[in-house]
Amino acid sequence: MSSDRLDGDTNGIARQRPMYTESQVIMTTVKAVIPFVLTYGLFITFHGTSSPGGGFQGGALVASVVLMIAFAFGIESTREWLSNSLVVGLGTVGVAIFAGIALVPMALGENFLDYTAYYPVLGDTLGLKEYEFVKYGMEAVEIGGIAFIVSGVLMGLFFALAAGVTPPSGTASDAAEASDSDGETDVDDGETAGDTATEAGENE
Amino acid sequence: MSDALLPLLIALPLLAAIFPLLFGLRFERVGWPVAMATSLSVAGLAAWLAWAVSPWSGGSRRFVHDLAGYPAPYGIELVGDGLSALLALLIAIVAVAVLVYARTTGPDSNAFYSGFLLLTGGLLGMALTGDLFNLFVFLEIVGLVSYALIASNDDPRAAYGALKYLFLGTAGASLYLIGVGYAFVATGTLNMRDMATELAALGYNDPLVQAAFGFILIGFMLKIAIFPLHTWQPDAYTYAPDTISAYISALVSTTAAYALIRIAYDVFTVDFFAANPLITDAVLLVASVSIVVGSLLALLQTDLKRVFAYSSVAQFGMILAAIGLQSETALFGAVIHLVGHGLMKATLFMGAGVLSSAYGARTVADYAGLAKRAPITSGMMAVTGLALVGIPPSVGTLGKWFIALGAVEEGSWGVAALIFISTLLTLTYIGRLLETLYFNPLADTDDAAVAGDATDAVDATDDSSFVADGGVDRVATERVVVVVVLALSTVALFAAADPLAAMLDPVFGRFFQ
Repeated sequence: MSSDRLDGDTNGIARQRPMYTESQVIMTTVKAVIPFVLTYGLFITFHGTSSPGGGFQGGALVASVVLMIAFAFGIESTREWLSNSLVVGLGTVGVAIFAGIALVPMALGENFLDYTAYYPVLGDTLGLKEYEFVKYGMEAVEIGGIAFIVSGVLMGLFFALAAGVTPPSGTASDAAEASDSDGETDVDDGETAGDTATEAGENE
Repeated sequence: MSDALLPLLIALPLLAAIFPLLFGLRFERVGWPVAMATSLSVAGLAAWLAWAVSPWSGGSRRFVHDLAGYPAPYGIELVGDGLSALLALLIAIVAVAVLVYARTTGPDSNAFYSGFLLLTGGLLGMALTGDLFNLFVFLEIVGLVSYALIASNDDPRAAYGALKYLFLGTAGASLYLIGVGYAFVATGTLNMRDMATELAALGYNDPLVQAAFGFILIGFMLKIAIFPLHTWQPDAYTYAPDTISAYISALVSTTAAYALIRIAYDVFTVDFFAANPLITDAVLLVASVSIVVGSLLALLQTDLKRVFAYSSVAQFGMILAAIGLQSETALFGAVIHLVGHGLMKATLFMGAGVLSSAYGARTVADYAGLAKRAPITSGMMAVTGLALVGIPPSVGTLGKWFIALGAVEEGSWGVAALIFISTLLTLTYIGRLLETLYFNPLADTDDAAVAGDATDAVDATDDSSFVADGGVDRVATERVVVVVVLALSTVALFAAADPLAAMLDPVFGRFFQ
């Protein structure tokens, strides 16, 4: 930890933000690769109940598409392109869908998360048998719940880490708030802050 | 349909945690109303659950909810009985109190209120689950959110404290998980009830079972902060924002201690302790050391929040001792002390927070003469401090009395003597605080001068209208009101021994068949 890193940078923000260098190789590669990664991510998500994979892995792959775009085209411009609302929306709406799917059976007089409770209501409309509701209910949780939450949280985390630590005196940046959409993200904020504190300690 | 309360109690705060963030995209300062509305609903549901399992409702004394309709040994079940309902009620009440306190003090970001609700949901999950792995999941939710909330203070030392807690807390949760893994290998089940029967069939002297209990015990000792595994706790409590110190000190270790009681008596049962005297003695030894060393360390501190933090190490030592005593009386005392300690520590941290935001007082010496300026808050801190010592009538008396009585009944005179010594040490450090508050003259520091100049003009006696350090803003009345209400509740609960005993009767009947 050399002290000259802090020169002319009293709050330690600028040094954490790497310069963006435009690279034709990376941009072209990313352009070529992302359609396949996105498709693969969606495939993994949609096949969660019948083959290995699921919302968690699929959501992570979908988020990695955004990460690749950010590395190729600049993190700041990607953040503006995506907007905080989308990132926060993905995480929070995912939780809402999950909770909704879990709570509606209780309103119908069955247990929490009991998918078969949907059969008397939706069975005729959807043309599904009772046992199929378990499969598609789980599928709905995987896609609408977990995949949304995971991709939203990972994107938010990435942008929050890229933005660096909020200076103590200033107000929290939007990015930091956006990242707090889940407990997991909360922790990583804590870790980031902790790492910075350790670094500060070493600088002394 | 009362069993439907169980998933609602957990799902409601977890779901509500998204709204501060979601509305935060459009509006400023929506976190508090959302969190308050949710906590009030949770408090209502928890009160309903407590009433439903109480003997006065005349219904079932134990509710089970099978998630997704899968029956118990295969699916995850949520269980509400007298003990878990009591804890859920404590969590809900402290959550509401802390939120009232937090309205003006903050941390005023929507993300904080999301974290607060996630923490509430996680704690309620720990209190209500009947499945060992599910307990681990909620333990992790509680841990992860606690680290983030502690780190949310501007002070860089808070980040360091949170990082230390992160390492040790994760180690604790992992040890718990290893223990559960061993128990799962031995029995093939994760359901608490089912595992109890399987363990009884397997025999309690199986090394696998002993190792499982050992790992679970040490994991929880880390989470509860029992000496020598307490090192994360003083930093975490001291440097966290006042609101969060009060919430975490009142509930996080408490819920972990509840989970240890649940596992020790519902899963491993008293027969396990009877079959393994060495483990029982080890528990008692560690608990005794924790009682004495925690009290001594509290005595040595100068920072007031640190005094209270080390005092928790001693109080939880007593609760662990009660677990090791295998006496119904002592365990009853432990449960009372869990509830009482939660309320007392919340009051003390909030009271210290009121005085420190008004006068910038942090160390015990800074509190010199503040009783003249802030008579209500100081008085309530004195009442709660004396309750912590165990002066009757207070909930602190009840808890310590029953633990000590249980120790005497079991012939463990050493534990009883240690509780007495710890009481004297508690009296010493609380007495030092009271002496500073009431009998020492106002310190002639810059802080006091600034606050004094501003205050003299306004008025020097009315507690709720003094001017904060630096004259930025006043301490809101409701913060003082919360401290008063909680402090009086610790006194009022002295009368609650009989109703609590009636409520816990079926649970303890099962523990000590």
